[in-house]
Amino acid sequence: MKSISLFEEKHSFLNGLSPETKLLYVVVAIAFPALVGGTVPQLAIMLLSIALLAGSKILTKSKPIIAVSGFVLLTVVIVQTFFRGGAYTELFRIGPLVARREGFDYSLGIVLNVFNIIFAFCVFVLATKPSDMMQSMVRRGISPRLGYVFVSLFQIIPQMTEHTSTITDAQRSRGMQTEGSLGTRVRAFLPLISPVIMSSFTDTRERSIALEVRGFNSHERKTFLDEFVPSSADRPVRIALLALLTLGVAFFVLRIVGVVSWPR
Amino acid sequence: MAQIEVRNLKYRYPDAKRLALDDVSCQIERGEFVGVIGRNGAGKSTFTQALLGLVPNFYHGAYGGSVTIDGQNVRESSVDELCRKVGLVFQNPFNQVTGSKLTVYEEIAFGLENFGVPPKEMRRRIDAAMELLDIAQYKDRAPFDLSGGQMQRMALAGIIVMEPEVIVMDEPTSQLDPQGSEDVFRAVDVLRAQGKTIVMVEHKIEKIAAYSDRVMLLDEGRLVAMDTPRAIFSRDDLAEHGVVAPTYTQICRQLGVRSADGLYPVTLEETRSLLGAGGRGGEVR
Repeated sequence: MKSISLFEEKHSFLNGLSPETKLLYVVVAIAFPALVGGTVPQLAIMLLSIALLAGSKILTKSKPIIAVSGFVLLTVVIVQTFFRGGAYTELFRIGPLVARREGFDYSLGIVLNVFNIIFAFCVFVLATKPSDMMQSMVRRGISPRLGYVFVSLFQIIPQMTEHTSTITDAQRSRGMQTEGSLGTRVRAFLPLISPVIMSSFTDTRERSIALEVRGFNSHERKTFLDEFVPSSADRPVRIALLALLTLGVAFFVLRIVGVVSWPR
Repeated sequence: MAQIEVRNLKYRYPDAKRLALDDVSCQIERGEFVGVIGRNGAGKSTFTQALLGLVPNFYHGAYGGSVTIDGQNVRESSVDELCRKVGLVFQNPFNQVTGSKLTVYEEIAFGLENFGVPPKEMRRRIDAAMELLDIAQYKDRAPFDLSGGQMQRMALAGIIVMEPEVIVMDEPTSQLDPQGSEDVFRAVDVLRAQGKTIVMVEHKIEKIAAYSDRVMLLDEGRLVAMDTPRAIFSRDDLAEHGVVAPTYTQICRQLGVRSADGLYPVTLEETRSLLGAGGRGGEVR
């Protein structure tokens, strides 16, 4: 059974940065374009994220995320382009449907914004080992329980999915129809869901005891098998990110008071 | 003083009508290997959980009597305190995987991290446990990618590294193939040789007969008998308690062959020696 964690150890530049620094990168990647305004900062940061992912050899791992969100964004582009209200400039026409420039431009803004956020999160998620994340959270004084819930989901969800599939196979082998029309699926739902829920309760109780007997609730100060030591680049990167954020805030204030402006 | 003392232990699960454990008393010495047998629902798993205070501290319910480990009453101790002294391995290896670690090596370290063991010491203990259980080759694999047998040995390693004095195992080989079961029993035998006290619930009667110093027979929550494997499996009322004697014992019973003390053999070696000494001809295959 595979973990759904997308992390892969590549001993790269991104792997060497601490989880906090990568989380700060996400914050800056989202906040800076919002503070400064315009599409150029958004595009620049998105390209930076792509370059970082490519440089760490994990760009291909972002494909499934991009594919799923790309499909959703495509519907946004279609809806905005053809159905956005208000005055419009015609781009082209497909039968009775008119493609509107204003809607298209607006949807492109959304697409750019969403992709910027997604790539920034990819920098964090794909390059951060879950246990390093937990270590970092515990060091920051966050309860190990919360850290555990965050980290274990990556492996326990696939385990539960596989368990559900086993129960489905077992019910099917006893002649139950689980596929077909909507009615058939609805009828199959109850006999499937009750053993899944019951066994999940049992499994959860047993797992919680198993954690308990391995000292999960121990009041000792936790240690870690692999103490995460950030690379020497961590500090300069963090300073640069904070500087960029400060710059963004300063620019925002100056723009509000009308000292500077940015072409939209 | 015995390492484990159980006195008049009674326990009933919340909302249950009958007692899961009914006036059980026994003593287990340091370094002893005690096998616990009985039919399903006899109270075996409840007994193992009572040794770690999970009954009643975790499950609640009605509780009477006492369980002490080295004089420490489990009811008055937290699981956190007790698990340093008593390790518990469950039947289902899947539910023992924490789900928070990416490799087998890290998974085994989980308990040690919780107890603040320095990393260097962790590695020493993990390497030794993996060597003992022959799982060193899986150290970089994802825990959920292991087979049931490999996963059970990983779970056992996760307990061994915490160096408890008592290891309690609830049907640890139920999901293992014969070779996997044998591997676990051999590992447990090494642990016993190292002075660990072992309490193991098991349906594989042949294994219990071969490895245990004493056997506890439970039925309907009551302790029917606690004695050497030969004494337990020579009882005439085993079937009444839902237990089948080892094959060698059954054969010798059929043949009417017993040793001078009136007990039947329980292992191949004992049977071979007895039949050879009795001149009944031939070897037992």
